[in-house]
Amino acid sequence: MSQKTIVCRCEDVTLWDLQQCFAEGYLDIEEVKRFTGLGTGPCQGKECQLHTCRLLQVERLKHPERAAQQPEAPQTDHPFTTRPPVYSVPLGVLARSGSASPHAPQAPAASKRKP
Amino acid sequence: MSTSNSIDLRLSNFPRGSQLEVVYEGRKLPAFAGETVAVALLAAGVQVLSRSIKFHRPRSVFCMTGDCGACLMRIGGEPNVRACQTLVQPGLSCQRQNAWPSASLDVLGAADLMFPEGMDHHALMTSPRLLNQVMQRVVQELGGLGRLPDHAPSLSELPVGQSRHVQVLVIGGGPAGLAAATAAATALPRTDAAVLLVDAAPEPGGSYLSHAAYGRAAAEQAIAEARAAGVQILSQAAAIGYYPEETTDAAPPNSKGLLAVATPHGMFKLTADRYVYATGGHPQNALFIDNDLPGVMSGRAVGRLLTGHGILLSERPLVVGDGDEAEALSTALQAAGAQVTRIDGKQQQVAQAFGSPWVDGAQVQDQRGQQHHVRCDLIAVVSPPAAASQLAQLHGARVSFDPQHGFAVVTDAHGQTSSTAVLACGEVTGCGSLAAAVLQGRAVGAAAAAGLSG
Repeated sequence: MSQKTIVCRCEDVTLWDLQQCFAEGYLDIEEVKRFTGLGTGPCQGKECQLHTCRLLQVERLKHPERAAQQPEAPQTDHPFTTRPPVYSVPLGVLARSGSASPHAPQAPAASKRKP
Repeated sequence: MSTSNSIDLRLSNFPRGSQLEVVYEGRKLPAFAGETVAVALLAAGVQVLSRSIKFHRPRSVFCMTGDCGACLMRIGGEPNVRACQTLVQPGLSCQRQNAWPSASLDVLGAADLMFPEGMDHHALMTSPRLLNQVMQRVVQELGGLGRLPDHAPSLSELPVGQSRHVQVLVIGGGPAGLAAATAAATALPRTDAAVLLVDAAPEPGGSYLSHAAYGRAAAEQAIAEARAAGVQILSQAAAIGYYPEETTDAAPPNSKGLLAVATPHGMFKLTADRYVYATGGHPQNALFIDNDLPGVMSGRAVGRLLTGHGILLSERPLVVGDGDEAEALSTALQAAGAQVTRIDGKQQQVAQAFGSPWVDGAQVQDQRGQQHHVRCDLIAVVSPPAAASQLAQLHGARVSFDPQHGFAVVTDAHGQTSSTAVLACGEVTGCGSLAAAVLQGRAVGAAAAAGLSG
């Protein structure tokens, strides 16, 4: 096994990957997420977001000129936009979650799909 | 630790449920009612539970709280099931996924050697076009997690779920949540629609079950107190999102918003007069070389195995961290017969972990950069967890960043957040210790009930 410091376990994003990303000038958590894929795995950032925000704080202090070059980015500490589901859900649980309402679509009469 | 069939890392003289067997890749392994699949496999000496998505690095349990995604397995014929959140059942089958020919010897691990530092896919085989097309086919074949389920249930086999409205809904059954629910139920007239607590884990108790100074007895006492006060507890009920535009038939007329809670009995759509988020925190790893090796575990996972399940994985654990949780864990490991090395994680930090596949040592570095080797067969990382504030955020509560706890929910002295009828307590607000979380939970639970008519 080669030596790696893993920041995002789900997507195998390493500290080296983040350093490459910072060197490209991406200093906002949403940009880092889009550039590296960090936080987009099964855990949705539960393990990597805090580490990344800490690293970003240090990086912005080291390179204020780079941080200033990106006026469109918020450049402050904020989480990625949170979207449900916060935890993984079996599709089977979602499949009938609408049927308590009278407006829910009816189940198809003959479902003969084989596994 | 080796993976022969005879290994059993359970301590004697620990009260357990009835014995049963699970089937792990064709092998029968002993398990006890109340254990999860991950617990039973670790107790039997299984070292690699999964392979990582890109580099196919060997992985095992890190958090044991359903947060980290390192224990996804094929369980009962379904892919991508969290082994640490799935209770054992007689004959339950479990296999590792995502590896070829097997998770113990995964040739796809060559990807780890091909990209020794990381993988910058922006410049990876993007030209010439033909190479890029071949590469994309290969990646599509290798990528993804798991294969489709053995059995596709028909719609009528699936659980329907239900809608409910309560006065106070507490999300999270750890120390703060149980305390808040108990306080709210004590203040309200006892009805079926007074206080409901939902907890995502296989059993409620949260960090009581992983803190070596508290453990199962403390969890059971807090649960008994909550039930005695009239709290209804829904276990294995994971709140997955707050939907502000949706409503249910059970909700009061003209009210908006519902909390979707996934349970084995289908989706529960819950509404409440007051919502109390006590969702705790996500265990955090430290950053060092090969920090994802099997055997690098959160202190809470190690604590839960020891005090919750009576399992000692290690003869020579290295405990990293300061504070009362690390202290209690070290003491408990020592009392169970382990030879503990303790570093504080600040003056002395882990620089690198060694071992294949399981940890067999660590390089420890002090503040002057001097390093020494520590022989150990487990690295327990005890660090402040990151506030689990996603649900509160979806519900409109403001969060603020602090480098220790992450995005903690901002509350006033009574637990009120920036969102109407939304309160929060415990680790999700950045609360530091278990004892403080209980006190805060009591106060916030009472505040949630105040002003609600009986």
